[in-house]
Formats: sequence, structure tokens, C-alpha cells
Amino acid sequence: MVELTLPPDSRVNKNGLVYRAPEGAKKPRTFRIYRFDPDSGENPRVDSYEIDMAACGPMVLDALIKIKNEIDPTLSFRRSCREGICGSCAMNIDGVNTLACTRACEDITGSEVRIYPLPHMPVVKDLVPDLTQFYAQYAAVKPWLETRTPAPPDRERYQSKEDQEKIDRPSACILCACCSTSCPSYWWNSDRYLGPAALLAAYRWIIDSRDESTGERLDALEDPFRLYRCHTIMNCTEACPKDLNPAKAIGEIKKMMVSRQH
Amino acid sequence: MKRAASTPLGRVLGSGAAHSGTQHWWQQRVTAIALTVLTLWFVISLLCLPDLSWSSVHTWLAKPFSALSMSMLVLAACWHSQLGVSVVIEDYVHGAVSKTLALLLSTFAHLAVAGVALLAVLRIAASGN
Repeated sequence: MVELTLPPDSRVNKNGLVYRAPEGAKKPRTFRIYRFDPDSGENPRVDSYEIDMAACGPMVLDALIKIKNEIDPTLSFRRSCREGICGSCAMNIDGVNTLACTRACEDITGSEVRIYPLPHMPVVKDLVPDLTQFYAQYAAVKPWLETRTPAPPDRERYQSKEDQEKIDRPSACILCACCSTSCPSYWWNSDRYLGPAALLAAYRWIIDSRDESTGERLDALEDPFRLYRCHTIMNCTEACPKDLNPAKAIGEIKKMMVSRQH
Repeated sequence: MKRAASTPLGRVLGSGAAHSGTQHWWQQRVTAIALTVLTLWFVISLLCLPDLSWSSVHTWLAKPFSALSMSMLVLAACWHSQLGVSVVIEDYVHGAVSKTLALLLSTFAHLAVAGVALLAVLRIAASGN
């Protein structure tokens, strides 16, 4: 059966360490952050950090960097571009999968900001999930152009403006994993279900007018688990920090599956 | 069963695509549409009866059109439910043996319900006008 409760050694101790705000803090705010260190042998815990928002940048990532720089250098998280294009700082903030760099602390209602790693993934440390499986699923859909017709010798393969527009949005996926890790179907069956991110990538190549492997791509997806574990829950589209629509892409793939049969 | 693969990509690719699932998905949609129409017919028909006494309903159901539509309603409902329950089992029951047993049990139970309901409708139809 699926595991509906956490195994004993993954249960979270809610009473972790507490770091009080400095004296004279003008706008103190509490960040409750999931901590897990595999080397300690201890269960995960939630630490509380009170920081002065008057001396902190506006985004959740600013707060995390401030905590790491000034309060607790042991806090681990991924970050790089700080402008929503690398997808590194995806995490669960205030109950929603999103990017820490584009989520403003101000927009989070409630006094505390709760930060957890992306749900239902193995945790490497603190807010760093293991995305090995997620990347393997991306690789499995062959995210590159496949053709039998050789490219013209004197120029690149032609792509009309209209055809390019069809793949503009799906190509904008940054592989942050917010969508796949928000999907209950992915939680229960990620060993066999490819998940919304990989399926959106598959769709991007299926509808590419230059690609000549559409049939093989559909063949590779036609499976009760790989594709059809999508139950149109729509969490993926709700979670996407780039406003993409993986649920619609999956629906379009299913429509193509049916239309090639009738 | 999936073979044991040593690389992440090998594990994802597993035994390959089953090349099925579309039929299942499509049948679930078709039976859903059929159920919408047939359920509407069923509710409206009951509302149009003078009363819901045993004899009124029996007389109504004994008519050929009612019996035929009722049979289709029963079949569509059982078919749709069997498809849906099998998806739920595949979602949540992961043990190879327990999953197979649950799927078998569900299929047989749906067949039994469909058979009993069809027989009941046929008996009423046969006893009717």
C-alpha cells in the first residue's frame, strides 16, 4: 500500500532550535524551516528563526540567505540566479511549491513563514531534495530534436513563426520540479508515472513541427502509468511558478493518443 | 515485474511502455457521457410517475423502452465503476499479489452486480405487459 504516514525516522520534531530576533529589531518575523542532517542520525526538526525584515530583502530567498550568512551557516538550500530562471530554489513555502527567489515574504499571510523541501522527495539535507529520479524522467522522454530528414546543407531547419509559438510556452519550463512534486499521483507512483514536468517536455517535442518522431514519442508514453496516471488533479498548473500549463499539455497528449486510433 | 536496473534512467525506462491505457481512458469518458444521459432519463422518468409505489414503478419498468434503458444504465454504471475502481487500486495498492487479487475481486464483484441487476430488470420486463 502507499505510505500515508511518514516512517518513524522521518517524523518531524516540531520543537527544533529557536533563534530569537536581535535586540531592537524593527520588523521581526519568524521563519519556521525544516532541518534534516543525514549525518546526525536524528529525526528531522523544524527550527525557528526570527529575523528583522527591516534589514532583509523582500523575497523568501533573501531571508534564507540572511539566515545562512548571519545566523546559522549550517542551513542548506539550492540557489543560483535569484530571478526565477534557474529553478534551483524550488521549495514548499507556506504550503505551496514555488521558487524562493520570486516569492515575496510580504505576500505570505500569517505571522510565520513555513519552509519545507519539495514534498515526497528524498531529502539530501535541509531544503535540498534528491532530484535524480526527476532528471532521469526528463531524460527518458528524449528532450531533443529527432529527425530522419537531414538538415538543409546551407541553412538551419525551417520553423514558421506560428509553429514556434506553439512550443514557446512549453519550452519555458525551467525544470524546478514544483509541478511534479505537487502531484498526488506522482507522490504515490513516481516510480512509474513520469509526472507533469517530463510530460510537458515530451509534449514540447511532440508538437515541434520539425520533429519526425511524434509516433515513437506517443508510443513511448502510451502506458497506464507513464501517462495515464495523470488524473487531471491540476495541482501542477496551480503550482507552476512560470505560469505554464502541464495539465493542458497532458490532456493534449491524451487527445492525440485517441485521435490516432479513430 | 520491473527488472532491477542499476542506473536512474534504466529504472525509469523499466520494462518499457505497455502500449495500452488509451482504450481504458477513452472507455471511461464514453461511459461517463452515457451515464449522464441515462441518469437524467432515470431521474426524470421517476419524477414523471404518478407516485413511487411498488406497482407504479413495476409497471413503468416492465415497459420495453424502460427495461432497455434501465439495462443500459446498469451496464454503463458497472462498466464505469469497474474502470474507475481498477485505477484506484493501481494507484494505491502496490504489492504484486495484493494488487492482482484486488483487481480480480473488483472485476468479479462488478460482473456479479451487473448480472444480478440485469437479471432483475429482465424478470420485471418478462412479467410485464
